[in-house]
Amino acid sequence: MANEVFLYALSTCPWCRKAKQWFADNQVPFDYVDVDQLTGAEQDAAAEKAYELSGARRFPVAVINGEVVAGYNPSRYLELLKSGGW
Amino acid sequence: MAEATRKDALRYLYEKVVDPLGYKFTPDEELAEFLLEQEVKLEQDHGAPFCPCQGRSGVRAEDMQIVCPCIPYHREHFDKMKRCWCGLFVHKDVTDPDSLPQLPPDEL
Amino acid sequence: MAGSSWTATVDEAKVREGSPVAVYPKGVGVLLVRLDGEIHAIRNKCAHMACPLEGGSLEGSILTCPCHDWRFDVRSGEFLDAPELRIPVYATRVEDGKVLVDLTEA
Repeated sequence: MANEVFLYALSTCPWCRKAKQWFADNQVPFDYVDVDQLTGAEQDAAAEKAYELSGARRFPVAVINGEVVAGYNPSRYLELLKSGGW
Repeated sequence: MAEATRKDALRYLYEKVVDPLGYKFTPDEELAEFLLEQEVKLEQDHGAPFCPCQGRSGVRAEDMQIVCPCIPYHREHFDKMKRCWCGLFVHKDVTDPDSLPQLPPDEL
Repeated sequence: MAGSSWTATVDEAKVREGSPVAVYPKGVGVLLVRLDGEIHAIRNKCAHMACPLEGGSLEGSILTCPCHDWRFDVRSGEFLDAPELRIPVYATRVEDGKVLVDLTEA
């Protein structure tokens, strides 16, 4: 089973960049959105989704196989990816 | 350049706020410079040097609590991590900021 | 401790209850605030980013900075969200109808 990874990020946040880099370095395919680079309703929707998932407005927020990880947390990423059969 | 001047001004102003709170600028100079640059841009675009790693809700009372240095409004959380959320500031005794966790308050 | 440095500012009558007045004794920006008849003097500069506090809102003794809403008690200068941070406050007295401010920090 393939892992599904989605990252809510801010382009201004170095930890969001590190998270992207971590998935890339580990060859984990992932999708992401830089919430601050969106505009209008699209931005509101992404911001609200990240808030709904994490209960806060702190970034990055990673969603790995449905599990939410708030903050840059490589050991948790690894744990979830492994349990997803990685 | 105006941005560089503003960055220096922010450094000067923040130092006086975080020092009495037991914090200092991260020793990761590259990170500090990057974060301050982002804050200068956020201040230009959105009126205040908001945290580069936190999103605004549009509600003033909430958004003002993520204007840098936002330590006073998240003291317990940041004290446990020994750093602020974006990592611009760390506790004074920290020499290796990369060893510090970035976790939500309920996971600490 | 340095000696006192009483400096005359505005007419007492100009400092009305709950309406902060900006004055500049010896060039120092000071805000006069009358609460329950008593006149308090606080440095007119926010501890956060040095914004002038005079455009802020006053509720009881709590002054909220107009820039980023940092809140201070005008009686003590204390920042409400971290007691380690405070703004200088100064002693005041009234003489010949004028408000005098002692620029020696209280």
